[in-house]
Amino acid sequence: MAISLWILLIPGAIVAAFILVLIYYYNRIRVLSNRIDNAWSQIDVQLKKRADLVPNLVNTVKGYMTHEKNAIKMVTEARERMLGAGNAKDRMKADGQLAKALKTIFALAENYPNLKASENFKLLQEQLEGVENKVAYSRQFYNDSVLEFNNLITTFPGNLFAGGRTTKEYFEATEAERAPVKVEF
Amino acid sequence: MEKVNVFDQVASNRRKSVLLGILVFLFLFAFVYSISYIFFPDFLFAILIFATILIIAHTFISYNYGDKIVLSSTGAKPVEDNRKYAYLINTVEGLSIAAGIPKPKIYVIESDEINAYSTGKDPKHASVAVTTGALENLDRDELEGVIGHELSHIKNFDIRFGMIVAVMVGLVAIVSNIILRSWIWGGQSNRRERGNAGLLILVGLALAIISPIIVRLVQLAVSRKREYLADASSAQLTRYPDGLADALEKIKKHNEGKMKVSEAVSHIFIADPNKSPLDDLFATHPPIEERIRILRAM
Repeated sequence: MAISLWILLIPGAIVAAFILVLIYYYNRIRVLSNRIDNAWSQIDVQLKKRADLVPNLVNTVKGYMTHEKNAIKMVTEARERMLGAGNAKDRMKADGQLAKALKTIFALAENYPNLKASENFKLLQEQLEGVENKVAYSRQFYNDSVLEFNNLITTFPGNLFAGGRTTKEYFEATEAERAPVKVEF
Repeated sequence: MEKVNVFDQVASNRRKSVLLGILVFLFLFAFVYSISYIFFPDFLFAILIFATILIIAHTFISYNYGDKIVLSSTGAKPVEDNRKYAYLINTVEGLSIAAGIPKPKIYVIESDEINAYSTGKDPKHASVAVTTGALENLDRDELEGVIGHELSHIKNFDIRFGMIVAVMVGLVAIVSNIILRSWIWGGQSNRRERGNAGLLILVGLALAIISPIIVRLVQLAVSRKREYLADASSAQLTRYPDGLADALEKIKKHNEGKMKVSEAVSHIFIADPNKSPLDDLFATHPPIEERIRILRAM
């Protein structure tokens, strides 16, 4: 009696343990995969915020920087290209150009003391710098999430539960953003 | 660099929070039991029931409103002027994105010292407070290092445990104070009448003296390791350990340790807000030089 009960119990326990592990990995992979999607949309949110700030900046700057029509035009155009971009890749590329054009504006602003002293300009400069950082941080979070996901589905035993899922791609910085490199480790 | 496992840290903090809650409950119960046994033996049962309800209510309040108590006791004011503090708000928002947590509420403390802390019960109900001295003296990279440190405390659930310790330390200090006073003023006559209660009297008195020391030991045992971990996580967020290292160096040079905040909350600050001669023995924070050295080596 006692022995036959064990014969039933042991395989039962193994199956139950296997199911628990399966549930754990299934959920973990799902959670990380959702986090990556969420991180990707977070990048878009920040790009949109940057685009929203541009008209304000242009209006503030126009009155002072009368000789820099070209630079201002570049910013406006880059913004329009970004908002009109059909796919994510084009949007990122246009955003790189927008970031570059904005840097030019702020570099030129050094020659206009009145503009630099304006409260409105100072605040816009802070907001744009803030968005710049947020764009960088949302990409970093995206890459961190991808790293965690890829580690899970390529290492043992996670790879057994990956169910044909492939590793996700990292976000590569565009040329314009490579300039201010921070220490990586 | 050693991999920091956030999941283990979160689980450990949740476990320790529950454990501490139970311990403090038992402590307070023992307090009330010995006191009412000595002074009001006839009402022992009623007092115990009443006290149990009070202690449970207190635990509930410290869990749900502990952050408000901590914030108001340190004189932290919510940031209302978005223009004036755009710099701080942007820094906190950016790093929250990097850490993948909701944006915490932001508070400012009027003080010349460079300091900051975070509190709350979980990342969804978290607050971060920064002194005006920090905003005036730190540049962007340094402030990011400090905020990154605080957001790591939030992400690791250090804030929950730190908040419960703070509120409990405050309560135990008050209760033991009351007991010592009532002993000194009202205890003598009762002691002669009830000679057989001598042991319990001693226990009650010992609890009153020892428990603040024990709580203090808990406070400092928990916060040292956490500080190193939060420093490392901050470097992981900002990808720039020198920012926090520079900030700590400024703190070392600039701060005089005169923030005038309660000892009960000192362990949640990034750098000890009160300097005391006993710091070598009972410091709630690891030596700042050691923290800088580790960050520089990353």
